[in-house]
Amino acid sequence: MSEEKRRAVEMLNISKIYPDGVVALRDVNLTVYEGEIHGLLGENGAGKTTLMRILYGEIKPTKGKIRLFGRKVSFHGPWDAIRHGIGMVYQHFTLVPTFTVLENLHLSFTSVEKKMSESMIRRNAEKLMKEIGFEVPLDAIVEDLPIGVQQRAEILKILLRKAKILILDEPTSVLTPIETRELFKTLKKLKEKGITIIFITHKLREVKEITDRVTVLRKGRLVGTVETANVSEIDLARMMVGREVFLKISKKPAKVGRKVLETVNLWVKDDRGLDAVRGVSLDLYEGEILGIAGVQGNGQKELVEAIAGIRPIIKGRIIVDNVDVTNKSTVERYRLGLAYVPDSRLVGLVFDMSLVENTTLTNLHKVLTKTKRILWDKASEIAVKVVKELDIIAPSLGAPVKYLSGGNQQKVMVGREIVREPKIFIVAEPTHGLDVGATEFIRKTLISLRDKDKAILLVSTDLDEIMQLSDRIAVMYEGKIVAIGKAEEFSVERLGLLMGGVKA
Amino acid sequence: MMSLAHFLMKFRERIRARYEEYLVITIETLASAIIGFSIGALVLYILGFNPAKIYFILFSKGLSNPNYLLSKSTPIMLTGLAFAIPMLAGVFNIGGEGQLYIGALISLIVVTSTHNPALGILAGMVAGAALGTFKAVLKVYRGVNEVIAAIMLNWVMYFLILYLLTEKLYNPQIPHESIPVPEDARLGKIPTPIGDIRLIFFIAVIASLIIYYILYYTNIGYMLRVAGLSPKTAKYAGFNPNLAIIYSMALGGAMAGLGGSLLLIGYVYSIDTTMSTLFGLGFTGIGVALLGRNNPIGIIFSAIFFSMLIIGGEMIELLAGAPPELADVLTGVIVIALALPYMYRMLISYMRIRRLIKK
Repeated sequence: MSEEKRRAVEMLNISKIYPDGVVALRDVNLTVYEGEIHGLLGENGAGKTTLMRILYGEIKPTKGKIRLFGRKVSFHGPWDAIRHGIGMVYQHFTLVPTFTVLENLHLSFTSVEKKMSESMIRRNAEKLMKEIGFEVPLDAIVEDLPIGVQQRAEILKILLRKAKILILDEPTSVLTPIETRELFKTLKKLKEKGITIIFITHKLREVKEITDRVTVLRKGRLVGTVETANVSEIDLARMMVGREVFLKISKKPAKVGRKVLETVNLWVKDDRGLDAVRGVSLDLYEGEILGIAGVQGNGQKELVEAIAGIRPIIKGRIIVDNVDVTNKSTVERYRLGLAYVPDSRLVGLVFDMSLVENTTLTNLHKVLTKTKRILWDKASEIAVKVVKELDIIAPSLGAPVKYLSGGNQQKVMVGREIVREPKIFIVAEPTHGLDVGATEFIRKTLISLRDKDKAILLVSTDLDEIMQLSDRIAVMYEGKIVAIGKAEEFSVERLGLLMGGVKA
Repeated sequence: MMSLAHFLMKFRERIRARYEEYLVITIETLASAIIGFSIGALVLYILGFNPAKIYFILFSKGLSNPNYLLSKSTPIMLTGLAFAIPMLAGVFNIGGEGQLYIGALISLIVVTSTHNPALGILAGMVAGAALGTFKAVLKVYRGVNEVIAAIMLNWVMYFLILYLLTEKLYNPQIPHESIPVPEDARLGKIPTPIGDIRLIFFIAVIASLIIYYILYYTNIGYMLRVAGLSPKTAKYAGFNPNLAIIYSMALGGAMAGLGGSLLLIGYVYSIDTTMSTLFGLGFTGIGVALLGRNNPIGIIFSAIFFSMLIIGGEMIELLAGAPPELADVLTGVIVIALALPYMYRMLISYMRIRRLIKK
């Protein structure tokens, strides 16, 4: 791309430091030319989204300047950014689920142009859809539409406000491969129309496929901006993680023992009351890791919560170590040798409580006297054991866990289960948001547990993680297991197809 | 004795381990009090009074009679606990007022018929707990907001007692008062180095210590605190957050009920038909709990402090002609100033950020 192209966005020396001292961004520069698709690449926690939320006026930078088409701007909120022609599509959409698409479009105009009537919006929307060549049913209720179409409605909403710059935050993370392909087609059309697109992602393949240039961030700092055509995926990977190879973990062949967990025709509803798990039957054996792959929101979370007894089941049975636990409480299941590490640290930890109090959560029965008194000495011993065994770095045992890093918090959640010595580990997204070192540590820990004849049920949306760790793989799609088998039977391509609902 | 020594040792260890935290809390609380008194001084000055003189009266008269000070602190200490316990479980109990009324009423009925103070106190606690539980059950199973339920029930209790006092339980000799607690069932005073102190104060302190023990050393207290900080985590750990709400409201209600019955059986012995002996004690408890940072030990001290303000406030009017509402102004400003620690912390972190950028 040549220098004479107009610069649509210039972000200069942007820093963002949060009040608690966390440095999200430090001296980041970003230049995006008009009419290009610009990738913003980085691992989880690299600062991509923060940078874009600053551009969108949602977060104020601690330091730095922003220029749009050569003019200096400073935004007090997203409404300012919208007036300057910037639009952002979040991972979680900002549509009212019970409204129709048209009503949502109307709603979005109330803050910028109050006089727009619904019929005017309908006319404009239809005209615009014809120009770009995509279709959104304007009179359909949003929550009834597939995610891909909801996303299109979100894009339509932004374009109707005459946005010149479109920011997409990991737009493909919620999409099936087919929906992704359609999104890319749309983006290319928008590019032809002169719209500047910033595309946040951590998927290398997408960067190569769609972007013109790409800026790479690592841990809040700028690594560099390159023309996509000049680099390979391996180059990008190196820039992103700071080292060449993706972690390879060696593992011995699995020594499978007896069956310790079984679900029979399990049906579970999600928070909205819709069937999220539809008849799942699974077996889990000692000494193996069974990986459950799938795009987020296909019933994995509901499945593991039902097994842990946190979510009620509609139909079916759950058997732990030959005991039918279908009607047993969570605590009883934990005592029978089940351990569950939830996907979110907000669920697994009480941030304002100390490390000792947090390790006590699932070890409570061990530190109680007959009169239900808590022996905090004993609880501290358990906490010390967890800290030692998992190399946790913490200011002190009494400090609230919110002062621990994400990786150490994750270690607390995993560690307090390990010291209980359960037979079955259910682990959901164990490395979500962790840096490379912590990820490697957690994964190695899981392998070593497997080698100690524990049974591990791993739920992850990270395909690398599934492929690396699993002895067997099951793919969940729309609440059903669509395929299950030995890890060797699955290639990344096959997994991708299955996760997208294609039989393969 | 061995176990007591052991306990004291543990307590000292705990303080040492969290020494910094306690120090910060103490400094912040003192700072808030200073800010509150300064603003109060400003108000006094504007109103044309001499702040130094008024404050001298406030403190000297407020603290002059230990028995009076500690007796007055008893009910608000317990309504303070009634607010603090549910707060730790994530529930907002502003129904301490109604729970105190029902506690006083039921113990009056029980004690006049049985002549047994212990039974009367127990009945008062059960009544308060029942009312608290009722609100919790409404919240958990019917989705009724606990604040609205409490406001309405406070008035229901108020008029219920008013009706019973004027129609059924009035004293034939003194019609504007309720029948008195029988002489043989009244709680007296016990001698101490600082003079005779009413027994009820010691009962309230012991209740605070027991609550402290329950909250920080038993599984129920632990579950309650986990549920209050993060209901999702409680569910994950297999605790039922709804149960935590019910337990906390029952415990809190029992404390307010205890406050009502101790006040009656150990201090005032009868209720006047304008209810002025009971009115407002529940709401004052909210301030007591906030100043005591919802910590049962802290609440003991903050209740005494509030008691001093109330007594001193009455004397200000008598001796200096300043409005008695001044005590309310002071308590209000101090409670607001208590929110300032968040501001100090923000300021500190802001300065830290500036330093980081310069690096």
